[in-house]
Amino acid sequence: MLPEVNVMAMTAVARETVFALRRQIAKIEGTLPERLEAPARNTSVDAAGSDITVLRRGLAVASPDAFLHTGIEGLDAALGGGLPKAALSEIHGLETRDAGAVAGFALSLTSLILKEKQGLPVLWIGTAEIFHEAGFPYASGLHALFGIEPEQLLFSEAPKLLDALWIAEEAARMTAFAAVILEIRGSPRLLDLTATRRLHARAQSAGRPVLLLRQAGEAEPTAAPVRLIVSAAPAAARRTIAGPLDGSIGSPAFTVDIGKSRTALPGQFTLEWNPDEHAFAERTENSVAVVPVPLRGADPAPASGAVLAFPALAAPATGHQPSRQQRPAHRSPRRAG
Amino acid sequence: MKRGMGIADARAMHPSIDVVEADAEADRRLLEGLADWCDRYTPLVAIDGEDGLFLDVTGCTHLFGGERAMQDEILTRFFQQGFDVRAGLASTPGAAWAAARFHGDRIVGGGEEEALLSPLPLSALRIAPETRASLESVGLRTAGAVMAAPRAPLARRFGATLLLRLDQALGRLDEAVSPRLPVAPLSVERHLAEPVVLTDDIERLVSRLAVALKADLERRGEGARALALLLFRVDGAVSRIAVGTSRPMREPQLIKKLFHERLTALEQNIDAGFGFDLVRLSVLSVAAFDMLQGDLTGEAADDDADIALFADRVRARLGEAAVLKPVVVESHLPERAVAIVPFAEAPQRRIPAKRSDRTAPPMTIYPPERPVRLFRSPEPIEVPATEIPEGPPMNFRWRRALYRVARAEGPERIAAEWWRQLPGEEEAPTRDYYRIEDSEGRRYWLYRQGLYSSASQAAPRWFMHGVFA
Repeated sequence: MLPEVNVMAMTAVARETVFALRRQIAKIEGTLPERLEAPARNTSVDAAGSDITVLRRGLAVASPDAFLHTGIEGLDAALGGGLPKAALSEIHGLETRDAGAVAGFALSLTSLILKEKQGLPVLWIGTAEIFHEAGFPYASGLHALFGIEPEQLLFSEAPKLLDALWIAEEAARMTAFAAVILEIRGSPRLLDLTATRRLHARAQSAGRPVLLLRQAGEAEPTAAPVRLIVSAAPAAARRTIAGPLDGSIGSPAFTVDIGKSRTALPGQFTLEWNPDEHAFAERTENSVAVVPVPLRGADPAPASGAVLAFPALAAPATGHQPSRQQRPAHRSPRRAG
Repeated sequence: MKRGMGIADARAMHPSIDVVEADAEADRRLLEGLADWCDRYTPLVAIDGEDGLFLDVTGCTHLFGGERAMQDEILTRFFQQGFDVRAGLASTPGAAWAAARFHGDRIVGGGEEEALLSPLPLSALRIAPETRASLESVGLRTAGAVMAAPRAPLARRFGATLLLRLDQALGRLDEAVSPRLPVAPLSVERHLAEPVVLTDDIERLVSRLAVALKADLERRGEGARALALLLFRVDGAVSRIAVGTSRPMREPQLIKKLFHERLTALEQNIDAGFGFDLVRLSVLSVAAFDMLQGDLTGEAADDDADIALFADRVRARLGEAAVLKPVVVESHLPERAVAIVPFAEAPQRRIPAKRSDRTAPPMTIYPPERPVRLFRSPEPIEVPATEIPEGPPMNFRWRRALYRVARAEGPERIAAEWWRQLPGEEEAPTRDYYRIEDSEGRRYWLYRQGLYSSASQAAPRWFMHGVFA
């Protein structure tokens, strides 16, 4: 850890060399690039003989506070400490129909960010096209699942992608937002390396995350240090006192693929979002029946007699059709309230 | 050739005559354009009939070197634009109207109204043609004759309007000219010897004008809520550019930023032509400005102010609907439960007040689950079959793709709001909502509109309304 290095009376050429070497080392180590900053009082950089203080504020040596911990050790480790907070992060959905899962994952990250920055608003920018194709964010749903108050939400609907990018750039440099979400569809030419670099630089200087949601987009070279590919995973069953409830749709789950990260470690994780505690939990293989039981397979009527620990596994897969009298009017469970 | 002549007669006299249809709408637009241009002389400009403009120049004449110089300048500049105009200046609108129409270029001093009007015919009094005809039939042919006649019989026979017009013209009664645009509480302007063309120059002027405006706003203890920039082009066209602010504003830097966005958005629409020779910045509406004490370091950022400014800039560039805010409405219909309103119209953020127990809604252990995304208009889906008539679908076709239902929850029945229904209107069918998970793990919110109750009714239709996380 070298938070501050005093380089006394260094010539400009030597300094350049040191900077280049440090960058090289950082690259080899697989850490994020550092930002080298001279203090403001040294207005003339070329002033020979002046004392130059070089502050190392790179994320490599920055406090662990620079990362957003997802709470999943494997994912955090694969990302090199977590999702960088002051950066542009890409979240991809392979198809437009994954928009719900992509939005849900981005919002759960936002919810984690809001745990630290309570009360700050969240700006969601989208083109008119994506809001039409994938649906407009629904405030009361977001409140129930992610604890984001409707008053905290701001939406921006841009008629064109160029306008959306302009709004995002303006918003990314503000510290008044807890997070900025920019949602676009496909792989437009406008959103190239330069445009993402501008967004990333603004996010870095403001110290706020910018989440770039790309629905049905392809992996392209961008300035974002992290790219995650998110798709929906079957939800967990609802938990009841009598164990998981068959055929019910509980808290949401996502499959997260690491498409790009500084550590370049591959990984696929299935995360479950806990809407009560606002935290992720990893779903390990076979802990819950990932493949749902066929709808007409199990007969819930006898289940009230004897409760099994894993009724999903015990239930017969097919056959055993109940008689007409046994069949309840509605197979799917009704919800209380 | 005479007025009221038929086309055939005119063609007979001049075979090569060009006939143009009268376009009252275009005439009106032209008159409004001229009224806009006259804004440079006074904020109180009113349109009078089809061919006249009233300019209330009270208190403005000294800015243009006196009454005579002002009238000469107006006439000269209209003439240069290619208009043949007549003007009259008097202390009452009625006398000025008569002077413009019957003298052409005359300034009537205070107290000279009677001398001006006496020899003029009755049409100088702005009265209805029927009244004029009946006055002429009794031998009163000039305004002087009417003034000399006894008032009581005149009022009895010809109505109160005649005497009202007379009194207004003579200054015995006040007559207000109602301006066509609301008068701005504050305006600053700059006349330019050399017209400006470049947007950068205009922005620089805006920031200078805003500095002048700030002092006035500070004295009044107010901030601007709506601002307008008026650009008067050399050839008479006027561009009016308005911006709104979410909270009172008086900082020149911020005002400049807002106009920068607006001008960038309008770049193609503003035709500078030969340049603008008068730039005016008006405050259209004001609100009380609360001064806030900053902290000693000056670092305490007012986040709400930052966001308000950000929203104003986006609005200035992309329109009112560019920044939206959800507002929760008490309704159980999903599409009504959250209203999306423009930022400026949304209620300001506040700390939610503690509700008293009596008004608190009953605690529900399981609040109804709502999707994260809702389609603005529910999209129809095809449901080939349901397992049981009132149950969830087994598969469905949405946007030409087939989805197989793996799990389903529901129904949650949501009926239409009968209290919003107009009398005589047919009741909207109830909806049965289902949470659906397809075979790939994506979750949707579907509903069936209507019931399979009787054979007479149309078959229920299915819709996709939202997507869950």
